[in-house]
Amino acid sequence: MTPSRRYPKVALGLIFVAWIVSGIGAIQPFDWFLESILVMLFVPLLVLTYRRFPLSDLSYTLILIFLCLHLVGAHWAYGAVPIPWEQWGFERNHYDRVVHFSFGLLMSYPIREAFYRIARARGFWGFFLPLDVTLSFSAVYEIIEWLVAAIVSPEAGAAFVGAQGDLFDPIKDMALAGTGAILTMGIAAWMNWRHNPRFRAELEESVAGAR
Amino acid sequence: MRVAAGERRAYPLTLLVAFLVVAVALGVRPVSRIDWVLENILVVLFVGFLVLSRRRLPLSDLSYSLIFVYLVLHEIGAHYTYSLVPIDWQTLGFARNHYDRVVHFSFGLLLALPFREWFRTVARTRGFWSYYLPLDVVLASSVAYEIIEWIVAQLVDPAAGIAWLGAQGDDFDAVKDMASGGLGALLAMTAALLVHWRREPGFGAELHESLRVPLTDPMGEVDRRKWKEGAR
Repeated sequence: MTPSRRYPKVALGLIFVAWIVSGIGAIQPFDWFLESILVMLFVPLLVLTYRRFPLSDLSYTLILIFLCLHLVGAHWAYGAVPIPWEQWGFERNHYDRVVHFSFGLLMSYPIREAFYRIARARGFWGFFLPLDVTLSFSAVYEIIEWLVAAIVSPEAGAAFVGAQGDLFDPIKDMALAGTGAILTMGIAAWMNWRHNPRFRAELEESVAGAR
Repeated sequence: MRVAAGERRAYPLTLLVAFLVVAVALGVRPVSRIDWVLENILVVLFVGFLVLSRRRLPLSDLSYSLIFVYLVLHEIGAHYTYSLVPIDWQTLGFARNHYDRVVHFSFGLLLALPFREWFRTVARTRGFWSYYLPLDVVLASSVAYEIIEWIVAQLVDPAAGIAWLGAQGDDFDAVKDMASGGLGALLAMTAALLVHWRREPGFGAELHESLRVPLTDPMGEVDRRKWKEGAR
């Protein structure tokens, strides 16, 4: 690995600019603040771990895209993102669903990189565990949303959670994140199968403990 | 806790026989036969897996005992279609029958340890990850369970589906179920961690080793470059 990489620094600059821009004229400043807690915690974490645990440019790019999509939602308080859903035959604003799907699609690869390199999740586990982590993070997110809603105000809570009157809203959110993660892990497995000369041996080794 | 593969053991066999007796007793006259059959599909698959994997993936007696307790709790629910389990919840100060919640909680509490043992044998998971991943799998399988329930409900009958799901009119039912499972797993893994911390001599070293970063090279585009060089 080269000691000085320019790309992570450019990505850091970009996310900083995106964060500021999304805050200017945010339609609900307090909601923007709540939503951007994620960015304010996650980006410093990546900066602090950079020296000991630098991720690939690919992972940084995927994280950057995901955080930007989330900041777009934060600017418009999610429910008011100006996309003409009605014209496309949808009854509700589906931008939150897009971001749930993107979470699985974009974040499962960085999760794979972290698990592969730290937890030594090889072969099968390197593809299965990121999907698993995506689903469990989605569950934790829905649990936190519910707790916040229940604490803040049980009546107003339902509106805040963004269920928009749908009993199955949390389940659909999680199912979309899982679908995104399955797609990305499928692509990663396919790339490895095609190009990684050690793929087959590693796959067999990873479940050899069962023999 | 450590069991040699291939060893013949009387205890798991005793548990299996005891479980079959309980399952048959509770299956003779269930409140709803169709619901009982649905609830038992996963049980048959799971017990079958345990029997087939007894040589290659043996669990400790403790794990088999925990699984036994969990399955008995589930069979009681299956006998009474869950919502009719005769426990006097109103007297205890609850508005609804919480037996399904009890079993969701037990799923995490009782099955996290068997999951941990499987992770250690099959995936050779060590240290921090051997406590975190079972919790993670409990949450993820709770999610998968709720997704499957939702899909089945949609396929069978969208209107009746909601009643069958046992949401009992609660918008946050699915979320509370998952939270119960997660809480159970969190308790079980914390207990396991404390016991190992006190008793296992290599605990600290294993924990430390598990959080080291053995691979300093990034993956992604760096992997791609390596594969190309390897092919040449």
